Amino acid sequence: MPSDGITAVKQLFTRLVYSLGRETATRELKWMKQALIASHSPTLAAMLQRRLSGEPLQYILGTTPFGPLDLLTRPPTLIPRPETEDWTLRLADMLTPTPVRPLTVLDLCTGTGCIPLLLCHLWPPGSTRAYGVDISQHAIRLAADNAARCNIPSFQPAPYSQNVFIPVLGDLRDPDVFKRLLPPFDIITANPPYIPKREYDKLPVSVKNYEDPAALLGDPPDSEEQDGLTFYRLISKILRQKGMLRDGSIVALEVGRAQADAVEGILQQSAGLRNTQVWKDPWNVKRVVLARA
Amino acid sequence: MSSPEDIARARQLKELEPLHEAWSNWTHARQSLEETLPLMQDPDPTMRTLASEEFTSLTHTLSTHISTTFPSLLVPPSSTRDLHALLELKAGVGGSEAALFLLDLLRVYVRYAGSVGWRTSIIQSSETESGGMRDAILEIKGEGAYDALRWESGVHRVQRVPATESSGRTHTSTVAVIVLPLSEDAESMSGNDELFKMEDVKVEVMRARGAGGQHVNKTESAVRLTHTPTGITVSMQDERSQHQNKRRAFQVLRARLMDVKLSQDIANRRATRRNLVRTADRSEKIRTYNYAQDRVTDHRIGLSLMNLTSFLEGDGVQDFLDALRRNWQEEVMEDVVGESE
Ligand SMILES: C[S@@+](CC[C@H](N)C(=O)[O-])C[C@H]1O[C@@H](n2cnc3c(N)ncnc32)[C@H](O)[C@@H]1O
Repeated sequence: MPSDGITAVKQLFTRLVYSLGRETATRELKWMKQALIASHSPTLAAMLQRRLSGEPLQYILGTTPFGPLDLLTRPPTLIPRPETEDWTLRLADMLTPTPVRPLTVLDLCTGTGCIPLLLCHLWPPGSTRAYGVDISQHAIRLAADNAARCNIPSFQPAPYSQNVFIPVLGDLRDPDVFKRLLPPFDIITANPPYIPKREYDKLPVSVKNYEDPAALLGDPPDSEEQDGLTFYRLISKILRQKGMLRDGSIVALEVGRAQADAVEGILQQSAGLRNTQVWKDPWNVKRVVLARA
Repeated sequence: MSSPEDIARARQLKELEPLHEAWSNWTHARQSLEETLPLMQDPDPTMRTLASEEFTSLTHTLSTHISTTFPSLLVPPSSTRDLHALLELKAGVGGSEAALFLLDLLRVYVRYAGSVGWRTSIIQSSETESGGMRDAILEIKGEGAYDALRWESGVHRVQRVPATESSGRTHTSTVAVIVLPLSEDAESMSGNDELFKMEDVKVEVMRARGAGGQHVNKTESAVRLTHTPTGITVSMQDERSQHQNKRRAFQVLRARLMDVKLSQDIANRRATRRNLVRTADRSEKIRTYNYAQDRVTDHRIGLSLMNLTSFLEGDGVQDFLDALRRNWQEEVMEDVVGESE
């Protein structure tokens, strides 16, 4: 690197220290250097420049860890969060499917495909068939790329000895979308958009300016309800459809802060799922509503 | 497939190998000596010279067997011989100079491990602005790494003129090293074995995330473990992945707990034996690196080596490790002999 490059890096780094604090900035710089070695991405200065303007580190580095997986991240598809990682690991620990008793998983609003991919990775080969539905072309393409990266087949028919994850382009509001996916499902997971408009307006730049609003905003602009819960009402309707669930099926929905009780209510009342429970995330926020059919 | 019994038997055989070898060498040398004796009276002078040379070399072999080889077989095989190692380094007194010296020492151990064929990785480090490190944890994967390196635990002291010191005054700074035992499965996150119970370990994520979830895409992967019965805490934040940090933290926790267990074992044994096996006091100053005199001194065995560069850039550390191992073997030997009296 030419010497003026080094001065530029130093200056940019100093500014990053100013904006993130020394400890975090030092770690991020180290990770950028590692990513530089691993790929032919631009220069360190360019990476620092992007970070300073508020771009999320995960888009700059192009990957994010998710449990033992290392997933691709590409704007504008939502970056998988550590909270989601935590409950997905917990869900994976709770169940032990086998090739003799395989499970079918449906992940709504799949984004990068992180949730079903982690389940497919952790559960024994040949025990899991997963679908992931998303409305965004970007997300579906990324989910397929991630499946390839994790060596999980994303096509049918896949060999019986392997777990499968099939990304499906589709809209949750389309009642027919699930018909071709062979219900009933043993597990339905979702991390649907849940941020209310008034909170969305106050989000940090790195979220608001870079991640897809359609991945974050819980309610359509013309909706009467602006509580961020529109998707949970929609999902409840889907769950109520005949043949979606079987006895003992599990539903796991991620929720935003202070939404757990309301979502629990929606599941009980409009989906008829009485057996519910709430999981907290590692930061002590009620994060997941779990229901058993 | 080999059964556990097969493996145990193979191991036993392997452990008997040195004994077997020493004994056959000994009998072989004795036999040759008996054959050589008559030849020393041979009428042919060339033959007599050859025989007497042979005699000298054979008596030498036999006496080393008596003085060293056989006694060293009395040293019981180390129970920690399979273990890998974690090296924890912490800069002590001396500020940024100590941090720079920490980096020098770290390089010594990385290079040494590489020369033995062990794999190393720095699993935690905090760099200082002047390019040194305040602390670091080095993982060394290789069977026997712990046994070879455990003597490095203690305070290392450096006396030199810092590069930044314009007046040319010598500074004294220290780095504390702790060598911890690491087992193969140390990264496992399930507990309930002889080292700890899972319910005794509190796992905490660090730093608040506000609303968290979709609201925040900041990387937040720091993890802290607390082992309640001992109060040992381990923090890990160097990896981007929380999962990975957690695995690392468990690895360090296991190593620390195993270290506690080993020290206890030694203390218990010491209480029942009259002799002292080397005390491992970590606050003890064990070695001094004196730049002005170009000398490294180990205070425990009073060994000094000239040529600091060979220590810092070559394989000088090997000489110390060998001497310390011999010293330890002698202590154990005396202990064993003392016991049987
Ligand atoms: C919060 S992101 C979750 C992504 C991923 N599951 C995760 O946990 O990282 C929500 C996802 O829902 C998708 N989405 C939004 N509206 C949708 C709809 N009507 N039908 C299907 N997917 C939708 C978005 O494209 C986005 O990928």
